[in-house]
Amino acid sequence: MLDGILIGLTTAFSMQNIMFVIMGCLVGTFIGMLPGLGPMSAIALMIPIAASLDPSAGIILMAAVYYGAIFGGSTSSILINAPGVASTVATSFDGYPMAKSGKAGKALAIAAYSSFSGGVVAAFLLILTAPYLASVSLSFQSTDYFALMVLGLSAVAAFAGKGEVIKALLMTVFGLMLSTVGTDQTIGVPRFTLGMIDLVDGISFLLLVMATFALSEALMAILKKVDESKREEERKAAAELGSMAVTKEEVKEMAPVIGRSSILGFIIGVLPGAGATIASFLAYGTEQRIAGAKKGKLFGKGSVRGLSAPETANNAAATGSFVPLLTLGIPGSGTTAIMLGALIGYGIQPGPRLYIDQPDVFWSVIVSMWLGNIILLVLNLPLIPYIARVLAVPARFLLPLILFFSLIGVYFVSFNTFDIQLMVLFGLVATILRLLSFSLAPMILGFILGGMMEENLRRALLINNDSWAFLWERPLTLAILIIAVLCLFVPMLSPVFEKMRRKTKGTASAD
Amino acid sequence: MFFTKDRIGGILLLIFCCIYALKIGNIRLLPFQADQAFTARTMPEALAVMGIILSMALIIFPTNRERFSIKEFNWPLGLAFLLLMSLYGFTVRPLGFLLATSAFLIAGFAMLGERSPIKLVLVAVPLVVLFWALMNYGLDVTVQPLPSFLRS
Repeated sequence: MLDGILIGLTTAFSMQNIMFVIMGCLVGTFIGMLPGLGPMSAIALMIPIAASLDPSAGIILMAAVYYGAIFGGSTSSILINAPGVASTVATSFDGYPMAKSGKAGKALAIAAYSSFSGGVVAAFLLILTAPYLASVSLSFQSTDYFALMVLGLSAVAAFAGKGEVIKALLMTVFGLMLSTVGTDQTIGVPRFTLGMIDLVDGISFLLLVMATFALSEALMAILKKVDESKREEERKAAAELGSMAVTKEEVKEMAPVIGRSSILGFIIGVLPGAGATIASFLAYGTEQRIAGAKKGKLFGKGSVRGLSAPETANNAAATGSFVPLLTLGIPGSGTTAIMLGALIGYGIQPGPRLYIDQPDVFWSVIVSMWLGNIILLVLNLPLIPYIARVLAVPARFLLPLILFFSLIGVYFVSFNTFDIQLMVLFGLVATILRLLSFSLAPMILGFILGGMMEENLRRALLINNDSWAFLWERPLTLAILIIAVLCLFVPMLSPVFEKMRRKTKGTASAD
Repeated sequence: MFFTKDRIGGILLLIFCCIYALKIGNIRLLPFQADQAFTARTMPEALAVMGIILSMALIIFPTNRERFSIKEFNWPLGLAFLLLMSLYGFTVRPLGFLLATSAFLIAGFAMLGERSPIKLVLVAVPLVVLFWALMNYGLDVTVQPLPSFLRS
């Protein structure tokens, strides 16, 4: 493990990669701060640049953008009560009241220290657990991989909100369908190309991600009519920050919260599908419960604990979500799903072999997490008053620029104008689906895992002489499939259990 | 109230799944592949069945009963931007990167309410030239800057 850490340190601390971490953190913070644009859009916008770099540098850049975007999202949550991403919604509960009472600088500093601590602790936990998990998963065969893909897809049940499982599953199937467009990889037969040569290679992952997130985000903002009076409010908030100093008492109050929320966030992040949003809400709720009556009352009115807990947990969960990606090759969240696609684009197959075949990529990603967190704290925090001015850029300039960068990002990779037309089409479809309240993350997950799932299933059948018995004869495959089924049906059945429990309680109290 | 958000989405996806299912027949299989347990059609067939079942389930048992209101949104502007992007795709090659992109940005800014012609040009043109220079000289991404009739 020490050798690995050394490889990681050497790679991540090269001058070029340090520059990418700095650039990624800054760009990520900048994009994450824009209301509506979250880590997924930020990473999607970075893919064309990352594609021109070597794999380690590219992944380091994207990881830095990821952290930067989460940090940026917290900043807009605190300053203008406009969380760029769901995972920073809980941050606004106490961050915004604190900012409103003239302590915006302090709130930003607390958020930065908490994010830093959560990220560092979680990266340490990642170092401890990832190699172990990777060595265990080395015994996996294609049958187990197929089952793992099914598990990854069934995690969409957790992605989905209450009662939204059918929609999430439908979107996953839609993504899987899109992944079948193009030439069949084993037999070489074209599928669903509609006679168009441009579709023979299938739909580009980058195109789909850009259209689904960046393009549709900008289109949604255009459709919703820009509120210029709100932008004026944002400009004022960005101008007045106040002191960024944190007192000794506040540090004392934060320390145990950070410890608890880091571990909680990491564990939640490791679970496929759970992610940073659930972690931040859970940490907030837990701290509110254990704070006691007196301090618990301060929650929602500018509590230090209430701000520190979700900020620590969402960063820890973001780090934790790399565990299933790096060790099993299944993404734990929409963001890591995009990163998985980028890794595949480099010809790298994430999973247990990554630890052995490409230790530089594996370890440099982990080391860059520390580096990214340090840079966010040392460089970004003092720059916040300046970066926050992005909130003052009028929407009439910002939105066409986002559209331009999305379109050109895809065009500069293929130099095929057909891709721009296809992107416009997918942008329209994605916008309609978002207006109808359909989540797009399961679609991307389905699209990315679809090809791999089909390939592994086909290989498993070949090895087993076209017999499907491997599904129940191999214990490991069966165990993973059972977990997948549980992942899928427990959230579906939980409202039923809840109703039954309430009924029994009602009858008991009536008796 | 039949047309809830879920039902509209379910109907649209059901139509897509049905077209997808119909197109499976176009996937050609060689004679020796027909008897195999897994062919190029297997996965699409399974997906089509799942998609149709799930979209029908969504239409029958919608969870979100919210109605979709068309009036809340600025549709003409949204459609105009879609057209603008499509037009950009058609013009970026013949007009060259500099001209097509500057025109795209100026039109975009103007459509969102910027009225000052000086601001329109001063924001769009330098940005496009800088971006092109960065791509061309910084990242070695060569893109034709000029219209086809001005190229030597």
